[in-house]
Amino acid sequence: MGFIQLNVLNNAASNVALGIDLGTTNSLGAMWKDGRPIVLHPEGDSGYVPSAIHFTEKGAAIVGRQARELAIVDPAHTLFSIKRFMGRGLAQVEADARNVPCALSETDNGVVQFEMRGRKYTPQELSALILMKVHDQACKALGGIEVTKVVITVPAYFDDSQRQATRDAARIAGLDVLRIINEPTAASLAYGLDQKKHGKVAVYDLGGGTFDVSILSIEDGVFQVLSTNGDTHLGGDDFDRTLVDVAKKELASIVRPSTLDDRAFLQLLRLAAERCKIELSSDPEAYMHVSLPESGVQWRRKFTRHEFDALTAHLIERTLHSCRRAMADAKLGVEEIDEVVLVGGSTRTPAVRSRVEKFFGRRPHTELNPDEVVALGAAVQAHVLMGGTRELLLMDVTPLSLGLETMGGAVAKVIERNSTIPCQATEGFTTYVDNQTGVDLHVVQGERELAKDCRSLGRFKLSGIPPMPAGMPRIAVRFHIDANGLLTVTAREESSGKSARVEITPMNGLTDSEVEAMLNAAFKNARDDFDARRAADLATEIGTMVRASERGLAHAADALDRETRRDIEDAVAKARSTSAASREPQKLQKVRDELERATLPLAALLMDQVAKSALSGKKLDEV
Amino acid sequence: MKHCPDCGAKLETPLGCGACGALFSPESTLTPFEVLGLEPSYELGAAELKKRLLRVSRVVHPDYFGSADAATRERAERASALVNEAHATLASDRARADWLVRWLGGPAESEKREMPKRFLLDVLEWNETLELARGASPGSAERAALVELRRVLRAQTDEVLATLAARLSPLPERASARLAEARADLNALRYLDNTLAQIDAVELESLRPN
Repeated sequence: MGFIQLNVLNNAASNVALGIDLGTTNSLGAMWKDGRPIVLHPEGDSGYVPSAIHFTEKGAAIVGRQARELAIVDPAHTLFSIKRFMGRGLAQVEADARNVPCALSETDNGVVQFEMRGRKYTPQELSALILMKVHDQACKALGGIEVTKVVITVPAYFDDSQRQATRDAARIAGLDVLRIINEPTAASLAYGLDQKKHGKVAVYDLGGGTFDVSILSIEDGVFQVLSTNGDTHLGGDDFDRTLVDVAKKELASIVRPSTLDDRAFLQLLRLAAERCKIELSSDPEAYMHVSLPESGVQWRRKFTRHEFDALTAHLIERTLHSCRRAMADAKLGVEEIDEVVLVGGSTRTPAVRSRVEKFFGRRPHTELNPDEVVALGAAVQAHVLMGGTRELLLMDVTPLSLGLETMGGAVAKVIERNSTIPCQATEGFTTYVDNQTGVDLHVVQGERELAKDCRSLGRFKLSGIPPMPAGMPRIAVRFHIDANGLLTVTAREESSGKSARVEITPMNGLTDSEVEAMLNAAFKNARDDFDARRAADLATEIGTMVRASERGLAHAADALDRETRRDIEDAVAKARSTSAASREPQKLQKVRDELERATLPLAALLMDQVAKSALSGKKLDEV
Repeated sequence: MKHCPDCGAKLETPLGCGACGALFSPESTLTPFEVLGLEPSYELGAAELKKRLLRVSRVVHPDYFGSADAATRERAERASALVNEAHATLASDRARADWLVRWLGGPAESEKREMPKRFLLDVLEWNETLELARGASPGSAERAALVELRRVLRAQTDEVLATLAARLSPLPERASARLAEARADLNALRYLDNTLAQIDAVELESLRPN
């Protein structure tokens, strides 16, 4: 690609798209440039945006590295690991909820809400804040070019609700989502492209909060996912928690019981645990430090790598069991896997590497940066979607079976897990009573036999069925899982050819109007921020102009007629008082422009004097 | 439709044209063979099928319409779903045979439930072996019996698949007796597949971490 096409009116790029890895712990943006994907980072910055949000006393949100730092001094107002709440209800996130330093509630449709500084935020809105920050960083790295089209990655094992939530977050951030792609698949794109590999590849992706394994066949630019498995609530956070639990047990005799339950204190423990874990990746032993100066607590505990491995063995075993399932679904034996690729920061843990190596019987690839490879892969896919190449073809699968609840509470499968997407299935329904005009469907995702044990995607209400005797209507309901892994349901009454209306009550999801309202609120915030910045810039400019005008008047007052002089004095006074009193950019702009107009004769006069004095050999600053 | 009405190029699939990028919405229902541009037959090499899948996907996949208008993107979604559905049907020996039997006017699964007689007694025996192995620990005699059963069932599966292939190649006359025999084979395969899947599940379950 040679040039970035710019729309000159708004500095927006029309032919490029960003790839964004929206991670549990870190988020990152990348883009295709000069024949390869590159990470976008402003100069002197790694580009990683820690997925952390701090709320100031006034309720303003600070995102990223600064928020992470503020968590140490004010853990009670800093949120982490929001991704674990995406598309989930309170009942499904009990363990994670204990780690949140604020009150939680739920909307009518079962969307979790975080209460911060007197306002409630859904995970979608919080994720939108992170996306905006990543987007902002990326655009800065591009020299201020506005790119609004994005490809966003999600864990392969994310269900429909979690994917919807991610898409809604991007919409609230004002981004145009070209595609949602799976993290291990994105990683395989970056990896396969880099290494020009062929064969069967296993991608083991252990991130901050989620685990995925995908088995792919890579051949002549075709990346075909054969199967995927995972756990959307298993990641580095859980490794940290094993250390936190030890610390809590041992601190019980040292600190007050109320402190042990204090959310802010737990936040502190978690950060200490994470630091200790990271050190254990390179050193055979490390210390976990906790200090509470106000209660005189100084706690230090040595952990050996051996002890840490024992504490986390069961977590790694869970990931390996997912690998077994994925292999079984791909109908492959471990000896048929040609390459193993490690993705996600948590694969830096030595025990993870050695257990994975033992499981697959081969040394995994670690030459790609496990923190960047997902974002890079998303940039590759963005390039394909923008029409950059037809050399690559990505064929992914849906991770979970889609089913309908039957009369007895069982599940009738409509689409099997690991079906290549896009995929579709059509099911026939009829009515049970005369002139029935509606049918209710309960759509679930998962592998369990009973609907109550699967993930509910919501209730779909078919209406507008023409009145007919019972059993006469033939309603064809089409379930389509698109290339994003997102479900759409449409219905048609076959005998009349009328399409029935499908009304969706999402479970743990936002309705379109809620997204719309949040989008508007986000825009208002963005506009407020923009206005504040512009007002500050204008006030500074006015200050400079006022000082210059006063200096000019002192020099050249005699050369001006009285009317002009008064005009300038009035404008200066007005500008001074307005910039002291107002933060409205429009008002400030007006007085600035007025001041500029009024001082034009003065400026002309000064220029004239400068020219004259230059001719007479005087220096500028002597004028 | 063999040539593109827009640009005249030869078509890989009736769903779209690889040369000019046009997507079509065929009014009649396409067979899975038509979707992938293949002649109907039971004999179908995995490599050939995959080649067709990739060729056709390169014409209709939504990834190549990322910046098109919403209607075109929707058409690509639908076309691609049809392609994947057709591939899933043809890639599985069972699904392909099932489709051909119905297409040639043979009995559907619901119309003919019998399977070859020799399997009837066996099925009861298989279930008993499975039940005993379910609670047994790895390395026990019951689990060894399960491993042996898997070996036997895999051999039988290969045998039935060979018989099925012989019945369906060349393709039988419409509504002929061979179709009913093929249906009986398919019914037997269902039991075999089912039991083998359950054996795998028992093994996988015993490895599950608490």
